[in-house]
Amino acid sequence: MFAHIFMNRLRCLLRDKETIFWTFAFPLALSLFFYLALSNIGKGETFQEIDIAVVNDSRYQEDLYFKTALEEASKGEDRLFDLTLATEEEAGKLLENGSIKGYIKAGDQIELVVKESGMYQSIIKSFLDNYSQTFKAVETVLRNDPKKYQEVMESLKDRKNYVKEVPTAGGKPDIVVNYFYTLIAMACMYGSFFGMRETSDIQADISPLAARINIAPVHKLKAFLSSICASMLIHLVVMLALLGFIRYVLNIDFGPRTGYVLLTMVIGSITGVFFGAFVSALVKKSEGIKVAVLIGVSMLGSFLAGMMYIDIKYLISMNVPFLSWINPVNLLTDAFYSLYYLDDLSRYALNIGVLSGFATLFCVLTYLILRRRKYAGL
Amino acid sequence: MPVYNLCMRIIRKNIPSLLIYLFVFVGVSIIVSSSSANPQKAVNEFTRKKADIAFISKDDSPLIEGLRNEIGKIANFIDIPDNKGDLQDALFFRRVVYILRVPEGFAQKFIAGEEVFLEKTFVPGSASSAYIDLSVDKYLNTAKFYLEHMDNISQEGLVAYLNDTLSEEATVTVLPARTKTNLSNLAYTYNYMAYSLSSILILGMSAIMMALNDKDLKNRMSCSPISGTKSNLQFFLACLTFSGAAWLVQIIACFILDLENVMTLNTVFFIISSLVFTFCGTALGYLIGSIVKGTEAIPAITNVVVLGSCFLSGVFVPAELLGKSTLKIASFTPAYWFVKANNQIAQLSQFDLSSLKPVFSDIAVIFCFASAFFALSLLIRKTKRYN
Repeated sequence: MFAHIFMNRLRCLLRDKETIFWTFAFPLALSLFFYLALSNIGKGETFQEIDIAVVNDSRYQEDLYFKTALEEASKGEDRLFDLTLATEEEAGKLLENGSIKGYIKAGDQIELVVKESGMYQSIIKSFLDNYSQTFKAVETVLRNDPKKYQEVMESLKDRKNYVKEVPTAGGKPDIVVNYFYTLIAMACMYGSFFGMRETSDIQADISPLAARINIAPVHKLKAFLSSICASMLIHLVVMLALLGFIRYVLNIDFGPRTGYVLLTMVIGSITGVFFGAFVSALVKKSEGIKVAVLIGVSMLGSFLAGMMYIDIKYLISMNVPFLSWINPVNLLTDAFYSLYYLDDLSRYALNIGVLSGFATLFCVLTYLILRRRKYAGL
Repeated sequence: MPVYNLCMRIIRKNIPSLLIYLFVFVGVSIIVSSSSANPQKAVNEFTRKKADIAFISKDDSPLIEGLRNEIGKIANFIDIPDNKGDLQDALFFRRVVYILRVPEGFAQKFIAGEEVFLEKTFVPGSASSAYIDLSVDKYLNTAKFYLEHMDNISQEGLVAYLNDTLSEEATVTVLPARTKTNLSNLAYTYNYMAYSLSSILILGMSAIMMALNDKDLKNRMSCSPISGTKSNLQFFLACLTFSGAAWLVQIIACFILDLENVMTLNTVFFIISSLVFTFCGTALGYLIGSIVKGTEAIPAITNVVVLGSCFLSGVFVPAELLGKSTLKIASFTPAYWFVKANNQIAQLSQFDLSSLKPVFSDIAVIFCFASAFFALSLLIRKTKRYN
């Protein structure tokens, strides 16, 4: 009997184009839009060599130390600047049309000319400050002991880097991946549309189909379990396809722990389906209202998990952590995030633990609402 | 006017679902206008850009205090609890872009000439990281220089020398900027209309079309004493009322949220571009309503079409952050030209023909899209009728 109901339900659900669209095609399209819109977003903060010009006059040519310092900073792979030599007029034009961030005028007091304040302009200023300050330091030392000239000049060449990068275990702090994690979490919660259908189709006072199923000589729980298994199977396949698309076609990194990623997806999918079943059992209104509740909760959850504005997730977790822990979309997003970015699994385990708790709760509550319901008249 | 009344009744029935988009629009506009609380400062003064960093020190010597003060010139210190999870979270979500850790006994070892390092965790390749590195290395190299050449210098004396030396700064001249208007926040609000307005127009128009496409209703209408021309006129009048109202409500919301700029000439051009875009949205709704068969498919198609064009055209993510190929694809959607026109209008300070030409050409493209949508839907309806 299980196989009979399961197979027929499977066929029935696969014909429901609307649900398939919202659970599969829509998240897939959204992931593609995310990819096209966000793939460039990280480049905004990446350091690029700064285009600058220096006024190539006699003062610059005569100031050998400054000339060398500037040329050194504009050489090699890790250079700060891309330097252009120009007359003041040319430099002014370059600045005006945005080809350079600023130009430098050598002299007793080095001058930087810019169009606006900004990060790159500040870096140029820092470099020039550094040069003037080194000169001042030399002056101070020589004033103290003029005989040290040779020694001082020698030591100037010996500049060190004092900051060392500490390698972090886990992934890069790439903010874009989080958008895709929220999207997968949202798609998991869209499994609720399947859950909603299952409960609607088993409550005789909701749909004629349910009334027909109720008079069949099958135990209600058996009928419900067989058909919800079909729903879960379809949603799992749909989610697997979405995950595969995001991972292998869009090349979004999920970290090295594939097994755990799949486990998260499975638990997310089960939570989604049972969430829908629970809401549908609880809200005794039209399908439109049920759908509105499901979409409303999923979208609010996605918003709080950072799908529309990434900072929200961090703000909530810092200021109202309780809200993070009761939001299934955030729990799923955070589980994916932990697998990608953090090296230890304790936070992941906590997320999955709470999420499994939610899934169990939805399942038990749905059962309690649906069981032993009899209808005096329909 | 039975046809007109029917259309209005259909719209009234759909108002709750249409209102969602209006609320989203108003919500976003409020967020955008409140984030623009810091108006453009006088640009003739140079202000150093400050990066948000976490400074964690296990060494409270004067040298490190001096380092903290020096970095403080170019960075804001953000308090983050010193545990791995919190620090990693803060870096990922860009609460800080750089974490600098001073190991215990750093200053002592540094003064003794041992090879010591500060530890950094940062967003790889970021400009602010290069900026902070430059400042830290400058401070410590200058300290090393003094330690090598000033005999018997105490740590306090060293910090005094460093403070004096590092107060020397290069002169920065900021060229007087041409009077340039920048209403980018306002442009963002108008751009956002591409999402809410298109959604409302397509959903509303398709709802009307779905009802009018009903075979029985068509038959009933054709045997009524109202001529085809009259009923068509009533239908167009209803479309006009609906799209006009949808546009007007959002424009009023824009006005209320940004009273300051209502009286500028830029607003006039924002109004023109949004009006042409409304025409285009109505035409697109008409086209979708002519193609689609089932009512269930409408929200699906609306979401994909509207979200897709808005994501690609720079409505949600600013256009300058989008890739070239993405923008090329986007140029096949009217939303791209609408966003382009609005971004140009936001920069307008002179209203002569040469400055207005690009704006008008973008608006003309939107108009062409609208005409194409109308022509296509008329063609489809004609073909359907013959079939």
